[in-house]
Amino acid sequence: MITQAALLAAGVGAVLIACVGLLVFPRAADRLHLLGVATSLGSVAVGAAVVAREGLSSTSLKAALVAVLLVALGPVLSHATGRAARIEALGDWRPQPGEEVHQQ
Amino acid sequence: MTAWFAAAAGLLLGAGLCLVGALRGAAADRLVALELAGVVSTLLLLVLAEAFGRGTYADLAVVLALASFPGGLVFARFLERWSEPDGGGPG
Repeated sequence: MITQAALLAAGVGAVLIACVGLLVFPRAADRLHLLGVATSLGSVAVGAAVVAREGLSSTSLKAALVAVLLVALGPVLSHATGRAARIEALGDWRPQPGEEVHQQ
Repeated sequence: MTAWFAAAAGLLLGAGLCLVGALRGAAADRLVALELAGVVSTLLLLVLAEAFGRGTYADLAVVLALASFPGGLVFARFLERWSEPDGGGPG
């Protein structure tokens, strides 16, 4: 019971922090980090809370599936959105003349 | 009020914050808010299914997780093409 409540609080807390950060960070590039917080920490914690309550059942399998889907697809969405945001702002995703590029 | 209903209320508050975030900024900034709202809604449906004790409701969360992903990709792709010099958009 304590485990469920702790996992649930952690998951909802992570999602709420991400949502509040949405109002703090105005730019898409900053906001994308918050999407990562929600898809990685939030979905895994909430999914784990459901699994902790249900044990092995069809509902817990669905919760695990949701967590896996969000964790796997979140970075793809972040990449596509970051690329679109850069093209919207600069007209091209490549480094622009005069832009500082960090070389390895 | 169980912990699950409290969690659902918290996630609902987060969805409201996403709505406020989606009302401000450039198109790409709003798109991120929309995608975050999709994640929040997915988790909200999952928590509500558990709060009501109806396991079948969790199907909605799975469907939304699957459906919001291509939706975000399509919006991002549209934004790219709209912003290209000959894409017909304002850029």
